[in-house]
Amino acid sequence: MTTIENEPTTTESGTAAPTGGRRFPDPYEVAAPAGAENWRDMYSYFNLFLEERREKDDKRTWFRNGMQFPEPMPPFDIATADSAYMSVGVMNTRVFALPPALGMDIRVVNGHMYMSALGVDDPAELERRAAEFGPRVGHYYANWPDLYARWEDKVRAQIAALQQLELPALGDFEPQESVLAGRGVTEANDLLVAFQAILASLDATWNLHSEMLNMGYAAYLNFLMTVKSHFPEIKDQQVAQMVSGVDVLLFRPDDELKRLAAKAIELGVADRVVGVTDLGALTQDLSSDEAGRQWLAEWEVSADPWFNFSYGNGFYHHHRSWNDDPTFPLGMVGEYVGRLRNGEDLSRPVAEVEAERDAVTARYRELIPEGEARQAFDDALGLSKTVFPYVENHNFYIEHWYMTVFWNKMRELGEVFVRFGFFDQVDDMFFLRRAELADAVADVQISWCSGGEPIGPSYWPKIVAERRRMLDVLRAELPPPALGPAPGAIVEPMTIMLWGITDEQVQKWLAAEDDAKVLEGFAGSPGVVEGRARVVMSPQGLDDLLQDEILVAPITSPSWTPVFARIKGAVSDIGGIMCHAAIVSREYGLPAVVGTGNATSAIRTGDLIRVDGDTGTVTILDA
Amino acid sequence: MPDLITRHEEGPSVSVTDTPAIRWFDELRKDDRPQVGGKCASLGELTSAGIPVPRGFAITVDAWEQVIEHGGLREQISSWTAGVDPGDNAALREVQRHAVEIIGAAPIPEHVESAIRAGYAELCARAGVAEVPVAVRSSAVAEDGEATSFAGQQETYLWVVGIDEVVARIRDCWASLFTPQAIAYRSKLDDQARYEAVLMSVAVQEMVDAEVAGVGFTVSPRTGDPSVMAVNASWGLGETVVSGEVTPDEFWIDKVQRSVRSRTITHKEQQCVPAPGGTGTATVPVPAERADEPSLDDQQLRELADIMVSVERHYGAPQDIEWAMARDADGSHRFLLLQSRPETVVTARRATTPAPSPVTSYLSMVQSLSSRAGGGS
Repeated sequence: MTTIENEPTTTESGTAAPTGGRRFPDPYEVAAPAGAENWRDMYSYFNLFLEERREKDDKRTWFRNGMQFPEPMPPFDIATADSAYMSVGVMNTRVFALPPALGMDIRVVNGHMYMSALGVDDPAELERRAAEFGPRVGHYYANWPDLYARWEDKVRAQIAALQQLELPALGDFEPQESVLAGRGVTEANDLLVAFQAILASLDATWNLHSEMLNMGYAAYLNFLMTVKSHFPEIKDQQVAQMVSGVDVLLFRPDDELKRLAAKAIELGVADRVVGVTDLGALTQDLSSDEAGRQWLAEWEVSADPWFNFSYGNGFYHHHRSWNDDPTFPLGMVGEYVGRLRNGEDLSRPVAEVEAERDAVTARYRELIPEGEARQAFDDALGLSKTVFPYVENHNFYIEHWYMTVFWNKMRELGEVFVRFGFFDQVDDMFFLRRAELADAVADVQISWCSGGEPIGPSYWPKIVAERRRMLDVLRAELPPPALGPAPGAIVEPMTIMLWGITDEQVQKWLAAEDDAKVLEGFAGSPGVVEGRARVVMSPQGLDDLLQDEILVAPITSPSWTPVFARIKGAVSDIGGIMCHAAIVSREYGLPAVVGTGNATSAIRTGDLIRVDGDTGTVTILDA
Repeated sequence: MPDLITRHEEGPSVSVTDTPAIRWFDELRKDDRPQVGGKCASLGELTSAGIPVPRGFAITVDAWEQVIEHGGLREQISSWTAGVDPGDNAALREVQRHAVEIIGAAPIPEHVESAIRAGYAELCARAGVAEVPVAVRSSAVAEDGEATSFAGQQETYLWVVGIDEVVARIRDCWASLFTPQAIAYRSKLDDQARYEAVLMSVAVQEMVDAEVAGVGFTVSPRTGDPSVMAVNASWGLGETVVSGEVTPDEFWIDKVQRSVRSRTITHKEQQCVPAPGGTGTATVPVPAERADEPSLDDQQLRELADIMVSVERHYGAPQDIEWAMARDADGSHRFLLLQSRPETVVTARRATTPAPSPVTSYLSMVQSLSSRAGGGS
């Protein structure tokens, strides 16, 4: 296979020319912050810029993926990045043979994730791939709803299998019944198998994550380009609006909170629910009577699966879900009770939104000449709407539901380590790389078998403490939005649609280095608003968010949806028009600018800012 | 070089009384172009489509041909143009001087003149004033805007008051066919084309005392995007905008949402207003307190946008329009369409296909697969 690494040579389409040879920082020249000089020790060789590859790697453009990976990576957590990029890559490269785009290489700099797309430009290879691409993706497009239904079954099966996976007890003796059954193989081996099964499950489920996603985005990108060929001045958000489903899983957990609030009023337990943040205490109280028990049963119905909803995006071990920490959903139920009692209608105007969407679409359609052109629009729109339920809903299944189960299963393994004296706390495990964790599993096996002491407890704690300290240092650093030379043409559908990295965006990022007062991003949701900024770097910061502030975040998570009722506008560092902040802002009618690259560092909490969701600019009016 | 060729040399003769000398806009359709020229046919078409257009009538091509025949203009003017060197500007100006003199004094057939007088009287009666101000403008039969410009068929007289003035300005329109440039232009044409190049009608249209006026494009003049419209507007009559005497306010309108996408409010120094003497127009300074004010508000822009969309929909093609906003005595405003032409420049530019890129190459496959997938929504 002939591949090209996207060097900034001027291609035939000439897209590299306007950057005028400008560069982002060289990945080999980015200094480690004081106190974190040894950050490379946390990551595998294949995630690092090696001096031996400098000739190759510093000629390429590397975009920071702050959307999925807003924080420096704890050593184990990078396994999720590896899995995610493998899945995107394998679908483009091997499964569907997308002609010009392969997958992405990833590297870590100062703990932050950077990615660089791989492409194909040899005409013969493009042709060979095109011959494979047609029948493969054609099958998916032609059978999309069926394949989506089967996909849901496959993911549910993965989730169920992982939940049912049992870790061995590793007590003083092998269970008697297994000896009497003459099993031979022991729990020491069960530990290794379970560890490998958890990792294999992660890998398999991430394959499923992207099974239909890249081609879903390709269909949407095709619609976007079709629309833009007729309406060159149309905003991406207007195109997104034509396709967006209104009733998507993203809103379901929030809807469940509203349902529970209404139920609490209906059952007469609202006063006992409002103001309570401890689910344990609430359960104890409500269990004492029939109405209370009924409400708790309703909570259980909502909680599985809908509260397997990450406070973050599921990629980090510390992104816990509503089920892991019900403080936020309980607080929101209380808030919704108050609003319902004030006579507010909390239901989303789904029918109106759908009618408006269809009316706008019809008006654009009318402006396209009848015949072939209008037919092409109809086809592209039809396919986009077919793929969209998947594109919008996969996120709940994988990033939220599956990943909640995954991290909790990993914690069961962590309890084994704690029991064997490796760590004080379960989460220390995530400060070991995947390969180091495999070593630690072997360490447990060896010592359990011998009856001797594991070596890990003498080895790991100080390494874990040092890595925790280093990550705190790295977290305070602002990573550049990109590294290396300005890129050539950007063609990969996920890059454009999900990460919002387009040729224009790169220009804006380059320009942003010159003017700190005005930030350029994507017009995510229309409208203009001025207000005080609240920079929220993690879900813990949500509690500080006041009514009518403007949320400024690296990226928002779907589980943050309820706070959009509180804010006047939203700004994110990363994200395209289909990112969560943009989708929810459009739903709530809030102006939003996404993909600014550096809003969370350029803006401080309390700054007066103007968010122009029509032009995609954020202006710092009074710092 | 016999410059003024009449149709008697081309086809069967037509009785002078068969065809009307004037025709009211509200009875005209676009197919009437050969008789009343493009401008009048278009105004008639728009009137019939329910678009607000100031009242008016056309002096037909036939009426002009009857003037030519009746006054023996063909012979007189041909004798002047016969030996002229189209490169000799001084000689051409001499021909023009004679043509203006001849046309200015030529007897107009009784039924033509009385029709014009009756038309103007009717306009005055409908406006409820003794002498209504009107615009007198050429209305060319030829389709090609550049050619009509060369051929001297783009004359405009504003704020003409009184029937004698109206008739004089109609003669001026006819005489404008004999500018040096026009004579030289026609000299290069073959007989048929030269015949067609003098087919001209004249529009007499009630003046709008515009508080604000300007032009509009029903597609983006930047890219041809049909979901975007652009409006230029300034204080007073639209002449300052059309001629480029002021930098007008610029508004970009979302055609689908009928909302204003962006606006640039300029410093508007000059405005064209009715001249103090009661006839003609004058360019005067805009009062300081108004110069930097937006000439249209959002509500007004939406009304104008609705009219523009109606016009475009009526023609089924992008339009380039001139409009005016009048302020009535009760303080209410109303928009009037003064002219509409097909927009051709950006539309033609857009017809060129963009170069294929790596993205479009595979998306075209996605597109062909999407039709096979049958949409499915």
